[in-house]
Amino acid sequence: MLTYILRRLGAGLLLLAVVTMVTFAIFYVVPRWAGRTTEQLATMYVGRAPTPEAIQATIDRLGLDQPVLVQFGEFVRGIFLGAEYRFGRDVIECAAPCFGYSFQNYQEVFPEIVARLPVTASLAFGAGVIWLVGGILVGVVSAVWKGSLFDRLAMAFALAGVSLPIFFTGLLALAFLVHAWGLFGTPGYVPLTEDPFRWAQGLLLPWLTLAFLHAAMYARQTRAGMLEVLGEDYIRTARAKGLSERRVVLKHALRPTLTPIVTIFGLDLGLVLGGAVLTEQVFSLNGIGRYAVSAITQSDLPVILGVTLFGAFFIVVCNLVVDLTYPLIDPRVRIHG
Amino acid sequence: MSESVPSSASPVVRVEDLRVVFPTMDGDVHAVNGLSFEVPAGGALGIVGESGSGKSVTSLALMGLHRGSRARITGSIEVAGQDVVSASDRKLRRMRGNDIAMVFQDPMQSLHPQFTVGNQLVEALRVHRPEVSRSEARARAVRSLERVGIPHPQKRINSYPHEFSGGMRQRVVIAMGLMCDPKVLLADEPTTALDVTVQAQVLDLLDELRTDLGMGLILVSHDLAVVAGSVDEVVVMRHGVAVERGDVRTVLAEPEHPYTRALLAAVPRVDLSRAQRRARDRAERAQRTRQEQRRSTGATAAGEAGAKEPDRAFAPFTPEPKEERGEPLLRVEDVAQRFGVRGGVWGRTTDFWAVKGVSFDLFRGETLGIVGESGSGKSTLSRMVMRLLEPTRGRVEFEGRDITHMSERELRPLRRDMQMVFQNPYSSLNPRVTVGDAIGTALRVQGERDGRKVRRQVQELLERVGLEPDHYNRFPHAFSGGQRQRIAIARALILKPKLIICDEPVSALDVSTQDQVLRLLSELQDDFGLTYIFVAHDLAVVRQVSDRVAVMRAGEVVEMGDSDSVYEEPSSDYTRQLLNAAPVLDPEHARELRAERVRRRARAS
Repeated sequence: MLTYILRRLGAGLLLLAVVTMVTFAIFYVVPRWAGRTTEQLATMYVGRAPTPEAIQATIDRLGLDQPVLVQFGEFVRGIFLGAEYRFGRDVIECAAPCFGYSFQNYQEVFPEIVARLPVTASLAFGAGVIWLVGGILVGVVSAVWKGSLFDRLAMAFALAGVSLPIFFTGLLALAFLVHAWGLFGTPGYVPLTEDPFRWAQGLLLPWLTLAFLHAAMYARQTRAGMLEVLGEDYIRTARAKGLSERRVVLKHALRPTLTPIVTIFGLDLGLVLGGAVLTEQVFSLNGIGRYAVSAITQSDLPVILGVTLFGAFFIVVCNLVVDLTYPLIDPRVRIHG
Repeated sequence: MSESVPSSASPVVRVEDLRVVFPTMDGDVHAVNGLSFEVPAGGALGIVGESGSGKSVTSLALMGLHRGSRARITGSIEVAGQDVVSASDRKLRRMRGNDIAMVFQDPMQSLHPQFTVGNQLVEALRVHRPEVSRSEARARAVRSLERVGIPHPQKRINSYPHEFSGGMRQRVVIAMGLMCDPKVLLADEPTTALDVTVQAQVLDLLDELRTDLGMGLILVSHDLAVVAGSVDEVVVMRHGVAVERGDVRTVLAEPEHPYTRALLAAVPRVDLSRAQRRARDRAERAQRTRQEQRRSTGATAAGEAGAKEPDRAFAPFTPEPKEERGEPLLRVEDVAQRFGVRGGVWGRTTDFWAVKGVSFDLFRGETLGIVGESGSGKSTLSRMVMRLLEPTRGRVEFEGRDITHMSERELRPLRRDMQMVFQNPYSSLNPRVTVGDAIGTALRVQGERDGRKVRRQVQELLERVGLEPDHYNRFPHAFSGGQRQRIAIARALILKPKLIICDEPVSALDVSTQDQVLRLLSELQDDFGLTYIFVAHDLAVVRQVSDRVAVMRAGEVVEMGDSDSVYEEPSSDYTRQLLNAAPVLDPEHARELRAERVRRRARAS
């Protein structure tokens, strides 16, 4: 068991290192292949006044004329030890962990992300709980009553959920549920610590919209998995023991059905934690996704880089958590780990 | 029938005029059609039949497990005085596991992989006796595991099913069945997925439990030899009907129904030698062709029919005496295969030797049987001979050429001379490729361009293996298991190979189909002078087809020699053990063998 944890941890760290390297390459190496000069690159970091002096200063400051490996080393050092950028007499400090510095807004990237994290995390976890519970519930009922009216309606609904993008369902929800019929209040973020009730109230519609998209997938997965498991020999054994159908489904069939779902859930949650771009944009929630969108529109490279790394970090961590909980769910993993 | 409390005299299971009908798109399928039998308390009944005979449908019906499916059940099934057909779901559940417990075919699949065996055993008891405390139930589970011969039950109760071997898992399933002291144990093909020695152990256990606990036993199997030593009465089923029913000794000794007789004749027998079997097959074949000839000369012009079959087919093929055999077709010298098994902290690999150095020569026209239990390395060995695997050590020579380390490119021209027939005819044929293409592809791969020529050759071959030429355009799903294996044989034959390796070619087939396929293989050997390596776990089958036999265990050949001498006078203890475990048809002999096994085990422990 310990070796399993150690190996997974090692693999997770390795993956993070690789992700950092690849992300760095995308932002610092690939543009050069596309023919960008050092000056052009520097312009993107310069801020609001790209005078030749300012550009040269930026090159010096960021070491853009240095070899790529040196730059990467500086970047990694920044993450662990923090970085300093000299701008004439001014010294800009970027405290560790330094995920970059936005020269357009004169802000460190990391604190900005951390400030927006509660919004995104609230959105992700709330929606995650809803889509996980809802999807599995619908999937199980559909599988048990396969071919019933409920099953067919649920699967049609699920198909709609998978196919409709957030900017469609979200805007529709806003138009009708909020503005036309007034069933929901205007979505917004109130910190949980401040007022839990208003926190939930403000996020309810974003949660439902985001959950609708994912729950559909989970319902279909659960239904298919459950149907397969119900055909297994050990389910027949369970029935032959004299167990009630409820116990057969909820104890013997549900657990093997959920095993693969946990894996997908980890990935999906990680993805959403790195910024639910569309949902945040549609409902004007000031989370990490929205931060990324504004950075993209302003070509603020350090911010994009920082957010990308942060997102990758979440996916890796969620995956690690899944890998570590897996042996608890499926005992066979322990042996083969 | 009277509503009396079941006494020891009244039967524990009574089935009367049972009919199970499955409505399908093509009309009703009568899976069971008017079946009746009884099992007295503490008695044992065998239900024997081939696939599709309705025996498994019957056993599911006994448990009421057709509930929820579309099956229509009529007639009456009484288990411990309770009618299963009309019982409410709740009553039915109370009966399952409590009055009648079931043991299934595949122990690898029939236990829940995510719960400990203790958990599953405790659940089996507490669902019927909720008043029993958890700790008490656990104590019972330990006793039950001990009863079925699981070593260290106190510790093993916390293990998961995947930590047990196949035979041990089947013991766990049986232990689970015993938790509520059922009046009857229903075992549906309980040993089909197990090795011979393990099969003998499980059957011995069932027999012992029946006598010790006074439990009724219903043993369902496709193999008459499996039930012979374990039951008092036997029902032979075919197409949903009992064609014969009676005392097991009478049925086996003086079968009345022609189907029973045919089934008995098809059961491979360990005591039948290769020579006897060949003589019998050839005599039957000669008679068959004579009849055909007579019929065709009567119908069409004479003379034409005489030239139809090559005379060679009738000439008994006698392998030349050893001295004149010349160079062996295949020479295998000390081959070994190592696999790396991953484990440890950093995924270090440890070595596992699947085959630890095997040598043999194989001469033209000869059949070498390789027999062994699962994990003995017999399949690995055959794959090395085919060069599907590169031996880690040793040397393989085919027609005097060293092929041990040949590249795939160099091997290609040799591939047409060595072909393989696999175990599972259901998964070894691509379901989306027509039979004709499946067989003809090999010709095309080897460079034949003329489509009509390919077609003609394939059709000729289809006829030769006992299929119709117009099966050419059909897909594999339209064929039964036996027919599929014929297709697989045709596919192996199309390139006129010199060596065919058959890896468990009949173990997935019913006994009568098995017999037909074995007969075909032997006819083809006569006609084409083929050389076979025949890999199987079934001792009887191997004996009947092999000139020489190699017995393998844990990657080594423990005994090799002329098949008759290996079977008549085995020199190794392991071979004796295997032979002792092989099921036999004679109930008396089966009981003697069982007694000997029990003695041997008592001595060992």
